[in-house]
Amino acid sequence: MKNRILYKADEVRLAYALLTPALLFLAVFMFYPIIYVFLMAFFRTNKLGQLKDWVGLKNFIKMMSQKEFWAVALRSLSWTVIAVTVKTVLGMTIALCLNQKFRGRKIMRMLFIIPWASSVPISAMLWKWVYDSEFGLLNQTLRNLGITQSPPVWLGLPGWSFVSTIWVDIWIGIPFMALVFLAGIQSVSQDLYDSAYVDGVNSWEKFTKITLPSIKQILFIATLLSSLWTFNDFNTIYILTKGGPAGKTHILITSIYTNGFEWLKFSNAAVMAVFTFVILLSFSLFYARQFFGKGDESL
Amino acid sequence: MSTRWRDRGKIPMIILALVLLFIMLFPFFVMLSTMFKSSTEIYQKPPTWIPRDFTFMNFSKVWGQYQLLGYFKSSLIVGIGTTVLNTIIIVPAAYAISRFKFPGRKFMLYFLLIIQMFSPVIVIISLFKIFVQVGLLDSYIGLIFADTVFCISFTTWLMHGYFSSIPKEIEEAARIDGCTRLGTLRRIMIPIAAPGLVTAMIYTFIQAWNDFLFPLSFIKSQTKMPLTLGIYQFVGRWSTQWEMLTVAAFLALIPVLILFYIIEKQLVSGLAGGAVKG
Amino acid sequence: MKRIVLSLFALLALTGMLFITGCKKKEAEKSSVTVFWALYDGLTEDYRMDLQNAFMAEYPDVQLDIVPVPWDQLYDKLTTSIAGGNPPELSIIGTRWALELLDMDAIVPIEDYVSDTTLNNIFDGTKEAVINGKLWGLPVAAGARILTVNNSLTNVVPKTMEEMKAEAQRIVKDTDSYGIIMPGKKHTELTDFAYYLYAAGGDFFEMNADGSYGKCIVNNAAGVKALEFMVSLAKEGLVPDGYLSQSRMEAHPVFYSGDAGYVMIGAWVKSAMEQAGSDFKATYAQIPGFAGHPSTPLVITDSIAMFKDADSLDAAGKFIDFFYQDKWKAKFDELIGFPPVTKSAAKLPQFQNDLYKALNEAAGGAKPWPLMNGFAETTDIIWDAVSFALLGEKTPQQALDDAAKKVDEMRADL
Repeated sequence: MKNRILYKADEVRLAYALLTPALLFLAVFMFYPIIYVFLMAFFRTNKLGQLKDWVGLKNFIKMMSQKEFWAVALRSLSWTVIAVTVKTVLGMTIALCLNQKFRGRKIMRMLFIIPWASSVPISAMLWKWVYDSEFGLLNQTLRNLGITQSPPVWLGLPGWSFVSTIWVDIWIGIPFMALVFLAGIQSVSQDLYDSAYVDGVNSWEKFTKITLPSIKQILFIATLLSSLWTFNDFNTIYILTKGGPAGKTHILITSIYTNGFEWLKFSNAAVMAVFTFVILLSFSLFYARQFFGKGDESL
Repeated sequence: MSTRWRDRGKIPMIILALVLLFIMLFPFFVMLSTMFKSSTEIYQKPPTWIPRDFTFMNFSKVWGQYQLLGYFKSSLIVGIGTTVLNTIIIVPAAYAISRFKFPGRKFMLYFLLIIQMFSPVIVIISLFKIFVQVGLLDSYIGLIFADTVFCISFTTWLMHGYFSSIPKEIEEAARIDGCTRLGTLRRIMIPIAAPGLVTAMIYTFIQAWNDFLFPLSFIKSQTKMPLTLGIYQFVGRWSTQWEMLTVAAFLALIPVLILFYIIEKQLVSGLAGGAVKG
Repeated sequence: MKRIVLSLFALLALTGMLFITGCKKKEAEKSSVTVFWALYDGLTEDYRMDLQNAFMAEYPDVQLDIVPVPWDQLYDKLTTSIAGGNPPELSIIGTRWALELLDMDAIVPIEDYVSDTTLNNIFDGTKEAVINGKLWGLPVAAGARILTVNNSLTNVVPKTMEEMKAEAQRIVKDTDSYGIIMPGKKHTELTDFAYYLYAAGGDFFEMNADGSYGKCIVNNAAGVKALEFMVSLAKEGLVPDGYLSQSRMEAHPVFYSGDAGYVMIGAWVKSAMEQAGSDFKATYAQIPGFAGHPSTPLVITDSIAMFKDADSLDAAGKFIDFFYQDKWKAKFDELIGFPPVTKSAAKLPQFQNDLYKALNEAAGGAKPWPLMNGFAETTDIIWDAVSFALLGEKTPQQALDDAAKKVDEMRADL
């Protein structure tokens, strides 16, 4: 398949010219900082984040010999898998609902977007108030409805606080998923459905046999991007629990922040940043392969 | 025929949508309830949905005493500045990737994905140092640059998908009529890809409008603080003034909602166009 | 569609212009002073603006920018700006950060830039940030912690921790209110554990002969006693149900709402209760010791520090002198509800009520945080130990043993 492509010199030149602004920006404000962070992982740093002595892999070995580190890394993974799965399922459900024709659906679409329109730190603050164990309206409502008289301490117990924080992340991510899926569903040709109708297919089969395969690409890209964003969701946990209780809601990105900005241990933070990158990169490759099989040309 | 297809199961779907909507909007209901309460009532038990003493005081306080307008202005400048800059950068880049043959084209696409793997948290310290050296600290331009850098990759990808979905024939026809490459970009591609462009712009605007970590680290003077930071004024050392915070949150939400309302349709088709070919 | 794009672009262009003109009016040749202004509760926006304007009216050649920063973000913002090489001239800091900042070579002795009149007017007892014989941070707020009693639930002013617990048990039995407030969620300070630790005669580190800190001793008998006591308060249901999800910010409002008998709290309690509309009478008393131990409340001071890499330190010194006049500083103290750190302000009538009496008495036997390097991490480690014990995942002894070991390792590494 891979024939040698013949490039035209003037076309190549123009292409690079068009790409220059983007590359320039990325080089100065993105690569340089990232390279610096990667360097920090191999150096002893002082409290100002300056590089002192080259220590090779010592920082890595030290970090990876700690039980806590692996607990945090593992939590990052389960955090991402759970959140993205739920986001996908609920996002798809909402997209299917919104795909129906009924009065007021434009306004309903608008309302579903609100959580995305609200800034993450502000949303997280609102949830903190919702979850409040004494003055929060969530627990009061649960009591009033007679669902439970002793509602959970949402942000206090290890299990519940993980559930509560992950829910907020999910909640923030759903609208984007729903919108993208809706866009995908609407781009599926009506002819496909019409011919299926003739064959007497029920709606579940219609969904799995026609809709899903048609939006496979969208599904892949949306879940992949969502995974990357979810893995790096810093604001939610930082604002709701700061990683507590007893560090049980720390994920890698919040640990990076705590190590770097609070304890001023920049090398440790950098090691975790490198580790995060390696995980995300291998995950993306693995995921792309699983999704499309080998020889993928879709990206 | 197709309408009958849709009719079946429509009612349960709508009910399901309403239930989900209720869950999704729950915190905003709490927000609406809290913002009309007095500072004494927010800490009274049991909390009620309908404020016991309905008050509009919080609005005048937030607007007058806390100069929310100034924060609004900063957010608007940064949001719009980022949108403009990002658009200028990504449109040519996406066009080049989707229409030109050049070495490294494919690599560029992977590369855009890889950029998504880095969080702003990781680059903040180094970015701060760069900004100090080039004198961009505590400036709108610095914020706009930082926000733009983290929008480039997703929006370029989106626009690339959109451009790719436009049949090559249209462009070729125009070139036969004497248009240059850049001429076709301006006259043909951009108008056709307008929904995608609007989506990219809105995405960028929202990212910049909602950004928190960059202004927190890079902005020193109060006059340049955006809304997301301004709202944190209501988080004191010993308690949070929820009645004020919710008012501010509400006010911050409005411009974005209006934007969404205007472009809702384009947003959906824009995401489709971008992602289908993504 | 086209119209929308066009109007969007028009809007963009418009603000673009606004933005360009907005950039041009740069103040020429003024020395500019930036102050990171921690947001104490009660400190109003009006006060900040008035102070800023009044100073600039008196010193027209100085551009003063008092930047409000929430406490929760102050430390992070400060470290970022220092690491980036562009700190503010002045910042309010927790005095306990001073050693860290000194270690980063970020601060200068503030006494070199402030007039003697100002320095001599400050109580020597509050000058906590003296390191190597120099004063590195000027105390801005200093307050010992006190016990506040909700008189609608109890009139007992306990003499010992044990007495307090007994009365808390009675309150829980007789009313449907809580006995005592105990924040169980990590926040930036380790205050509540410190109250009990000091009350049991414990401490964070053993003291070497030369005045430096030795090993971490939170796991000695006193420390374990303190943590066991906290666990028992929680187990017996004397604290709010959601205490584990409550940092100080969420826990104290429960007291303000009248729903708890006791709270160990700082000077701001009175203004906070007013703001929350509390409708009960309160008594201000001393945090008791455990039986056989004297009352040893925690005292926390905040300071103003001056940063080495900033540009206009002399102008910053002028601002300090200006701010520490009674006209401004006393008003500041009154707003945030702290006892004055200046001798002249302490004589003012507004600082003579029952709250300030209790605070002054508390100041006598009070003990501060350890002044150490790596304090942020130490606090985090011990907080986690407290959480482990409260969650029942470790016994207090185990949790504190682990924590002490970790703190020692961490300090050896510094």
